[in-house]
Amino acid sequence: MAQSELVDAPFEEDDHRVAFIFQANPPSSHEKGADGATARSAKRRKLAGSSSSTLKKHQQHGSEAANASVGVGVGFPPLFGGAESPEAASLRRELFDEAWPVLEKRVQQVLRDANRNTLDEVAGFLKSAAGIDADKLTSAFIITGPNIAAQDLLFEQLADRLCAGDADADLPGGDGADHAAPPRFVRLRASDAPNLKAVLRKIIRDASAAGPGGDEEDAGAVVVQGGRKYLDYDLEALHVFLRQHQTRRVVVAFQDGEAFDSVLLTDLISLLHSWRDRIRFELLFGIATSVELFQARLAKSTARQLYGAQFDVVQAGSVLDGVVKTAVASTHAALRIGPSLLRTLVDRQRHHVAGVHAFVASLKYAYMCHFYADPLSLLLLGGGRLTRALLQPEHLEAARTLGSFQAEVEAAVEARQLRHARSLIEDDEYLANQILDHGARRREYLLRLLRSLHLIAASGLAPLSFTELYMLALSDGLDVSQAEPATLPLQDAIRRLGPDDFLALASRLLGAISAGSPELGLAGFAADADDLVASLTDLRDEVDGLAARARARGQGAALKSRYSAQSRVLRTTVVAHKVQLSRDDATLTDEDRAFTAAVDRLCDVLARHLRCEPLADLFLHEPWTFDARAPCRDVFAPRPGTTFGRALARPHDYLACACCAAAAAPAAGPAGRLDPALPTAAALYHLYLEAGALINVADLWSAYYALVGGGGDGGGEGDGEGEEESDADDGAESGAGLDERTALVQFYRGLAELRMMGFVRPSRRKADHIAKVKWL
Amino acid sequence: MTASLFQLPDELIISALAQAFPCREAQIRALATLLCPTAAPCRNLVVYGTEATGKTAVTSALLARLAPQDDGADDLEPPSLRYAIVSSPECITARHLYETVVAKVAAALEWSDAPSRCESLSQLHVELCKMLKYPSRPSGFRFVLVLDAIDRQREAPHTLLPALARLSEIIPCLTTVFIVTVPSPNLLLTSSVPHLQFPTYTKPEFVAILSARSPPAPNPLPNSTPQETTDLWARFVGAVHDALARAACRTLPALSHSCATLWPRFTAPVLAGTHSAKEFSKLLVAARLLFHDDRLLDPGVLAVPPSQPIAKSAPAPAPAPAPAPSGDTKPPSASAAPPPPPPPPSTPSRSSSTPATATAASALATAGAGPALARLLPSTARHLLLAAYLASHNPARHDLTLFSTHHHGRRRRRGGLSVSGGGGGRGGSRAAAANKHKKIARKLLGAHAFVLERMLAIFEAVRGEWADGKDGAEVPSDGDVGMAIATLASLRLLVRVGGGGDMMDSGGKWRVNVGWDVIRGLGRAVGVEVEEWLIE
Repeated sequence: MAQSELVDAPFEEDDHRVAFIFQANPPSSHEKGADGATARSAKRRKLAGSSSSTLKKHQQHGSEAANASVGVGVGFPPLFGGAESPEAASLRRELFDEAWPVLEKRVQQVLRDANRNTLDEVAGFLKSAAGIDADKLTSAFIITGPNIAAQDLLFEQLADRLCAGDADADLPGGDGADHAAPPRFVRLRASDAPNLKAVLRKIIRDASAAGPGGDEEDAGAVVVQGGRKYLDYDLEALHVFLRQHQTRRVVVAFQDGEAFDSVLLTDLISLLHSWRDRIRFELLFGIATSVELFQARLAKSTARQLYGAQFDVVQAGSVLDGVVKTAVASTHAALRIGPSLLRTLVDRQRHHVAGVHAFVASLKYAYMCHFYADPLSLLLLGGGRLTRALLQPEHLEAARTLGSFQAEVEAAVEARQLRHARSLIEDDEYLANQILDHGARRREYLLRLLRSLHLIAASGLAPLSFTELYMLALSDGLDVSQAEPATLPLQDAIRRLGPDDFLALASRLLGAISAGSPELGLAGFAADADDLVASLTDLRDEVDGLAARARARGQGAALKSRYSAQSRVLRTTVVAHKVQLSRDDATLTDEDRAFTAAVDRLCDVLARHLRCEPLADLFLHEPWTFDARAPCRDVFAPRPGTTFGRALARPHDYLACACCAAAAAPAAGPAGRLDPALPTAAALYHLYLEAGALINVADLWSAYYALVGGGGDGGGEGDGEGEEESDADDGAESGAGLDERTALVQFYRGLAELRMMGFVRPSRRKADHIAKVKWL
Repeated sequence: MTASLFQLPDELIISALAQAFPCREAQIRALATLLCPTAAPCRNLVVYGTEATGKTAVTSALLARLAPQDDGADDLEPPSLRYAIVSSPECITARHLYETVVAKVAAALEWSDAPSRCESLSQLHVELCKMLKYPSRPSGFRFVLVLDAIDRQREAPHTLLPALARLSEIIPCLTTVFIVTVPSPNLLLTSSVPHLQFPTYTKPEFVAILSARSPPAPNPLPNSTPQETTDLWARFVGAVHDALARAACRTLPALSHSCATLWPRFTAPVLAGTHSAKEFSKLLVAARLLFHDDRLLDPGVLAVPPSQPIAKSAPAPAPAPAPAPSGDTKPPSASAAPPPPPPPPSTPSRSSSTPATATAASALATAGAGPALARLLPSTARHLLLAAYLASHNPARHDLTLFSTHHHGRRRRRGGLSVSGGGGGRGGSRAAAANKHKKIARKLLGAHAFVLERMLAIFEAVRGEWADGKDGAEVPSDGDVGMAIATLASLRLLVRVGGGGDMMDSGGKWRVNVGWDVIRGLGRAVGVEVEEWLIE
């Protein structure tokens, strides 16, 4: 993919270069350089007005403009080295534009729904607490987890909910006159709150500007009533404003409660508390860790002023499960995220991020990569839009390079279907037909996969979460029988079922079949799976009858199968002072035996119906799956430290000069070897690695000069401290070294570079020494 | 009426007030004398006393009654007293205070002109003179300006109080009342200012005040008459005062809160029918554990237990809120009050049970916070937090011993250091023992600052060992580690020491901000025994 992009004509060469070389005066013919220069000078100018807001607006505007200019249907750049038809390229673009918004909407829906319970609880609490304790500040502590990005959405929803929902709900309530207007909602972040004055200013400004009457003039907040001008941090102003709007309630939400300075928070709370008889403040705290930790930071006298309750948000794990279910796995998702990529993303969530937004961003990036860079993504065109005319010879050629193509051909040869194999390789038309057909095969596979997963999830037998199940099914396939290659042995779980559980399971499965799953985008499929439905119904009726008969016998013994643990009892008998153990399993009645047969049949039926092969076994699965981990990792989890270290340790891999070719040759010895031809910074880095925490610069210089200096004169001073290898190098290097002045210049430059990269810093502890900063 | 030179205010007012504020009659009379224009009005008055002794409430109630009501009668007789009360903790800056004073005075005088800005003390003088001194007032007119909690004014210039005290020298008809917690001898830098103290209530007074209210929730106790209930309540209040007042609740709101908290538990036997309301001593014996344990009285921010917030909050929550204190309404603040005298040695049973309670409480906190943190934080952040704790609590010179795998192939944990200590003890064992005695365990000391890079190195060194196989398989990238550090910093679990420099500057100094209990819980939740990694 990378190569094909590099050769792209319409794109600037620079856009894909790994490194840029800074040129002080760009060539005048190059129009782009001049453009960049003007842009930079414009940015340097101080922006008038409130800089942050204008800047933001500016950026938004810019990004919108960019969106618009890209969105008018200019296709992606043609691939295949420019040989791709513009039509195909723009179709890929269209495909992306169709596929992603669907997914994004579903994800947003999931995220919003996940917060619904919390919203209800918080709103209910605030309402119920209103009349209880007039002497304390009502406060809700919302445990959100350390996922700061998701809190924005939550608090946005809270604002909507409290401002809109309360207006009509409060009217029938007790003192309706007091609550007639909705409360004012103020969201605070720790960065808005450097000191008390600033917080108050923000509270007053937001509370008097926001809300449904937000379009009133701002000045109303500052000057009111007989021309008295209030200071902008005077809550009296807010009080007067609220009185004009017939409300007393202000909801103040601290989005990241723990990031606030605790002294400030204490001050603010006691101030708000002292105003409680005039303005009813209600506080919402977003807490990432626990209320105990938060409370430990407040003064006790402050804690006494709060009347609080704790609320939990649905944790990231279950939200993630929902997102995977509705967005990644559902039938609405055009592109399948492959199991290994999905595994990486999920693991990353668990270990590092714990934020669903990062997951969604990764998903989007995967979509973008696929449609941007894979010409075969064109094959995802559905609805008969994919025609033979669209397929260029390059597409067919590309298809023949796919791994699944090779696997298919090999399998065909193994199975002695030589004609099939041969025409796949040689006959373009044959292959094109196969490709045109593959859409139907894909849909069929997905349907089977998702139905099986849905049934397994509905049965409740598998101990895995849906995400795990899905990844397992994609990577290893599904097989619920107990046989050896089975990936998900459920047979034991089925056999352990009692008659009641058996009936419940059958009913659950039947219900799941008829209901389908809206999350997965599955409609009910009773019509398609009539044999499964029929056998499940039969089994249920049969076991129902058996259970009824067993009950009718009235022996009190419930129906049991051969497999259930109760049927095998260890019997202890004492005969003539000897203990005998005997295994007793002869107590199965006819009904029990029939039940055993029913359980066996259920196992068979499920094993027959709940199966699908791994994704990688499918012919031509690459066009509709994306399983490359590298792009996402490079973008979302870069590791500059490692990269720097490696580049400095082995610069030959990155520099394509003649000496490097020699050094990089396998004969040149181990990788970490010192070599006078190394760039100065790299050579110093090697010496640096060998040094201790404090490095004497003079020693470093003599070691370096011993390495690069000519022959005998330099080597003499440095090798006292064990610079054997540099000595050896000197011997090998035939004495064509640098003179001292040049070497010194290079040494200083290299040292400055190391300092720039954050490896060393000047130390005050010892004269002429530098301190090692990087230890990893 | 005005002919008489000295005339105390109407007795009716004072007796009504004394009824509303029990045990404060002396203060009410003194205040009335000093404020009433016909009695002995003074220029400055300092009202002081510890928190919740009724200073503000009594002053404002008295002024409200002394000032003539706005009914039709007063046009015959011009008003002779006006007042304004300014609560100074509500004023963010000194300027805010001046403007509030001017606005309140203008409101009290029904001044019609729009007040101009008032930025300094001299401007305040000018404004007040304009309103109070120059217009002609009837003889005997006084204006009372009450500055509530003026010693807690934010950003107050040091000349504030003396300058305010000079106001009444310039404006003869002004009385300035300063309500403070503790007056220093030269508070106002002026002589002969009358001081009026509101002393703390004594035990009979506490009991009298609390008995005047009806007892909380299970009010008429079942199986007993209201009279019995009231008697029991009075004796109960006395018992609570004896047991807890010195240690836990020295103010009226605190005591009434304690009584309200303990009352349902105390009367549970009566509710259950095992004792009757008359058997006070039996009830006391049954409930003696309650009086040993001040954990119940700890004011938590959570009024509603977290388990079922909605189910609990839909009906009225069980613990009845403390009724509004009859005394002070200003926010009680521990900082301004003088430190309490150390609690006297109490009964043996009490002292023996206290450590047990304390450990129970701390275990409870640990059980709460550690696993919660472990559940909430992603694994990288957890390990980083543990590494930060180690970096904060281990001296840097031991890092090589703890984390290096160079000599032994495996890390030596804390065994290494104590062995060397034992070796030294062979020579001068007594000195070593004495030395050891003096040392305080490091984890009991505060956290030390560490360089970020050192913490990252520790993290790198221990990560492989701490993470079980599959978690540690992937090396977290720099970006992820940086993100985890940023998360911890935004949660204030890690704090930067010293300003300046970039947040991610690897030479920056940091400090861990959570205690041993939380860290131990967190470590156990991820399967790391942090104690093994600490140098004793």
